[in-house]
Amino acid sequence: MSVEVVNSVLEKYSFDRSSLIGILQDIQRELKWLPEEALRMVSWRLDVPLTQLYALGSFYKAFSLKPRGRHLLNVCLGTACHVRGGPAIQEALEKELKIPPGETTADDRFTMEVVRCVGCCGLAPVIVIDENFHGKVSQADAVKALENYE
Amino acid sequence: MKPFRANMLVCAGTGCVSNKSFKVKLALEQEIKRRGLEDEVLVAATGCQGFCERGPLVIHWPDGIFYQRVSEEEIPMLVTEHLIKGRPYKNLMYAPGAAEAPIPKLADIDFFKYQRLIVLRNRGIIDPELIDDYISNDGYMALHKALTDMTPEGVIDEITMSGLRGRGGAGFLTGFKWGICSKARDQEKFIVCNADEGDPGAFMDRSVLEADPHAVIEGMALGAYAIGAQTGYVYVRDEYPLACQRITRAIRQAEEYGLLGDRIFDTDFSFNIKVVRGAGAFVCGEETALMASIEGRMGKPRQRPPFPAQKGLWGHPTNINNVETWANVPLIIMRGADWYASIGTEKSKGTKIFSLVGKVNNTGLVEVPMGISLRKLVFDIGGGIIGGKELKAVQTGGPSGGMIPKELIDLPVDYEKLAEAGSIMGSGGLIVMDETDCMVDIAKYFLAFTTDESCGKCTPCRVGTKAMWNILDDITRGRGKKGDIELLKEVAVNVKNLSLCGLGQTAPNPVLTMIRYFKDELEAHIKERKCPTNKCTKIAPAPCQKACPIGMDVPTYVALIAERKLDEALEVIRWDNPLPAICGRVCPHGCEYECKRGTIDTPISICSLKRFVVDYQRARGADIIPRKEAHGREKVAIIGSGPAGLTVAHDLALWGYAVTIFEALPEAGGMLRAGIPGYRLPRDILDIEIDVIKKLGVEIKTNSSVGANAIPLDDLKKQFSAVFLSVGAHKGLKLGIPGEDNFEGILDCITFLRGVNIDKNMNKPGGKVAVIGGGNAAMDAARTAVRLGCEEVNVIYRRSHAEMPADPSEIESAIEEGIKINYLVQPTKVIGDKGMVTGIECVRTELGEPDLSGRRRPVPVKGSEFMVNCDVVIPAISQAPDLGFLAKGHGFKTTRWSTFEVNPETTSIQGVFAGGDAVSGPATVIEAIAAGQRAAVSIHNYLRKGEDHRDYRIPRSYKKMPQVSLSNEEQSSLRRPEMPHIPVAERKGTFGEVALGFTLEAAVNEAKRCLRCDLE
Repeated sequence: MSVEVVNSVLEKYSFDRSSLIGILQDIQRELKWLPEEALRMVSWRLDVPLTQLYALGSFYKAFSLKPRGRHLLNVCLGTACHVRGGPAIQEALEKELKIPPGETTADDRFTMEVVRCVGCCGLAPVIVIDENFHGKVSQADAVKALENYE
Repeated sequence: MKPFRANMLVCAGTGCVSNKSFKVKLALEQEIKRRGLEDEVLVAATGCQGFCERGPLVIHWPDGIFYQRVSEEEIPMLVTEHLIKGRPYKNLMYAPGAAEAPIPKLADIDFFKYQRLIVLRNRGIIDPELIDDYISNDGYMALHKALTDMTPEGVIDEITMSGLRGRGGAGFLTGFKWGICSKARDQEKFIVCNADEGDPGAFMDRSVLEADPHAVIEGMALGAYAIGAQTGYVYVRDEYPLACQRITRAIRQAEEYGLLGDRIFDTDFSFNIKVVRGAGAFVCGEETALMASIEGRMGKPRQRPPFPAQKGLWGHPTNINNVETWANVPLIIMRGADWYASIGTEKSKGTKIFSLVGKVNNTGLVEVPMGISLRKLVFDIGGGIIGGKELKAVQTGGPSGGMIPKELIDLPVDYEKLAEAGSIMGSGGLIVMDETDCMVDIAKYFLAFTTDESCGKCTPCRVGTKAMWNILDDITRGRGKKGDIELLKEVAVNVKNLSLCGLGQTAPNPVLTMIRYFKDELEAHIKERKCPTNKCTKIAPAPCQKACPIGMDVPTYVALIAERKLDEALEVIRWDNPLPAICGRVCPHGCEYECKRGTIDTPISICSLKRFVVDYQRARGADIIPRKEAHGREKVAIIGSGPAGLTVAHDLALWGYAVTIFEALPEAGGMLRAGIPGYRLPRDILDIEIDVIKKLGVEIKTNSSVGANAIPLDDLKKQFSAVFLSVGAHKGLKLGIPGEDNFEGILDCITFLRGVNIDKNMNKPGGKVAVIGGGNAAMDAARTAVRLGCEEVNVIYRRSHAEMPADPSEIESAIEEGIKINYLVQPTKVIGDKGMVTGIECVRTELGEPDLSGRRRPVPVKGSEFMVNCDVVIPAISQAPDLGFLAKGHGFKTTRWSTFEVNPETTSIQGVFAGGDAVSGPATVIEAIAAGQRAAVSIHNYLRKGEDHRDYRIPRSYKKMPQVSLSNEEQSSLRRPEMPHIPVAERKGTFGEVALGFTLEAAVNEAKRCLRCDLE
């Protein structure tokens, strides 16, 4: 699986070593995370040290070096969401999913992350599930929104 | 192109899209087709129109009608009404308040009216996905003009003269920056558009990219021509998928039209743009970090110089500006520097886009001329604070900015003025905070952000932000120490001065402005373990303790009751509270509203448990007289023997002072005796509690007025080392309606209660009584009237049950006793005959917008006037201190509510202190005790002059009690006990105590239900 993904991404970027971040982003988009196997392959095909790839993978928030669930749940804690009840939303979701931010549920259904502003401050508090924005949510709304993602 | 008679423009910014605006658009298209209007009406998507709060938005042109909160269900009606019948559809129009008329036209709505659109000139007008739309609105004309008519130097001069400054935050002159880069000698140069908008609470750049991407492309092309660059990069945040998609599409279209690529407009100028997605790192907004990221490395900043203009991307000269700056450029070239410089202030030219968010009614994106006042932004454009609450502060500049307090609301917003106030313009986030927001919490929030986002390369930023966060975290958890503020300042200054890049250099700003403008709030956290807004939930050991004005150690005494250790439980209670048997009866018990058990079933009966312990121990002769800690100290006089005065006497006597209380009334107790009736607070309980204080050596002189016609205050000041004023608030406020002074039968509530409770000269005042007001005093008057034998008692209250300030159990008992409570009724006139009251004319009300207290304002309903027949009217709306006792020219500073001004307890006269209702206005017993405890500390520190210093009392644990082990069955079967009451039939004609108290078994079982939040 990851072999084909890595190959097609590298071809798309014409094996250009200056596009490392874009390459990793595309691999992550397909695989939802950056498995060691994939990083080793990128390192070998582009002839860049594996440490450099891990440096990028751990520095940037968008990358995950751990497997992620089927759906990515982002709880916004930008300033507007913070003052409009974002922390209470986070608390309700933690209670519902029984995981802290950064973790994945035992059934692999959700990975929960906290983000600092998704730029929808007019709709605060906001949660984003996969690419869908849910605005002006109450604790109950937030928990209910999870139902649509299996 | 075929002309359409109308355009329906559907907002497709991220805000509206998440409100399903694409579904609305689809429904609109289908309906228009179904009605055969597709050749007459064009439906198009636009970028963010700014008023995100009200999405999804649809605008009708040419009529300029603004539709908001449009749903799929409303589409058929909208089409029928406006597009077929030609009359704008009211249901979807914007109205500023529920009761106000809708405003049809966009141009008439306050949110839009005060804006000036330059950068956002095309918002809501063009489809950002169609290059033709941009071109037909003069798009790419500026680029054509520059390439064919102007030299690169000419372009730079124009930008320099316009006064345009970088919109990313620092405000460097754009033309000047371009000039440096243009002079650098290199074959290859780059320009970069910084769209890594990481400030939480800011979304200007996202909006511009989504609404008008070609303006950014054109601006970049002009910049590239000016400095001689061939390649440009747009670095977009990963969190903005729609913006990324729109700019990518726009670049492709521009390439197809030959507006990007080789030999643009057949000149020698060639230019290409690539889009690079960020990967979620705030520090990449810093230019050197951003370049590292584009090069595919970790986004860590580096030392400058060399500046990017000398050595930038891959070592070549590079010019970086942010999205909004680039979008300004085409218009300056088109309309000239003079035109642009005519807008704004002396040093800040043009307009600025702000994202107006937080606790403001109209949140959204606004563009206004530089120099506009914060007041105009928050109140005129923003429509004021949500829920009618009070503004507290406006935060600008995100994690790099500061908090601007409401006192500076008239500050003109430009680069210099914001810097003077300790903040920065930043990219333009304006976060409005109301009175419920804790500024310490907000400062901690921003530090958590910068601590997370610090790249870790330089030590001051990596370690310093974390160190500041740790101090603030301790403070919000009730572990603040003396010296914390000084330490915070020291660390802040070091981080500011020593950090490598802008992130660290500005990270202390939120903390520094918090200290500068909200020091009182910070000190309350440290010195009193109190969060004035109650936001910091961890500041006390348990929520009940946090809620209690004196921070009583509830969990410990409740745990001791559960273990039947009542001696010790009383010790804990007396350690905190000098009047526990009184509080156990009349305290409004805010603790129970915060009790965690209440979120599961019902809160613990904290108030009644306290009463139980004191009553039970007293009955078996095991009450405790606290031990004195010192002897032989100065003499202190206290004026007034209410709860505040008694508390000061209690504490000071324990600490060795010789205390004398002067009481004007014949018996001690102040409002406890004069105001609270015996059926709630039996006289013997009051006597016993006061006796304990007397046993500590306190002398109480009754019938001893102080003031103009009695013992002169000046004499007391000479005879005593300190004087404490706790004269209470005994003067009833008037209703302020006609007829109030003309008839007999109008009895001020406090006069009435005192006549019954102390003077014992008040008999049945009449047959039919009307009590005006909704507080506990009104309930006391009404229930007292019932006991005196009045046949009909009406309470008249102008708001609804939900707003009524009286304790719910008081209201319930009043109703049980046959009192009729008339909600939403306001008296307008007292009616009388032959000098006697015969009734009161009233009007019904409905609730309107919230007033300053946050409660909804009663609005009289026209034509609903009616009469309430009565022969006695008892106004019980509020009380104020009666300052008539003070001699003329007394020299005290007082407020407009005729209460004493104190800071924090000392009055404006040295050696004279004040507290209780005389300072706060009418409040609760427990609040008076809290004020007394603070005043006692102040008086002690004043008299000791620095020796034997005492800190304010803080919520503490007396001892650590383990959790009581309970079987599951017990855990789930225990219920909050009902308080036994004497039967209603037995209450008339007697003032015996209504609530009978718990039995030992009931109390022990109730105590076992405690969840022991203090152990978490």
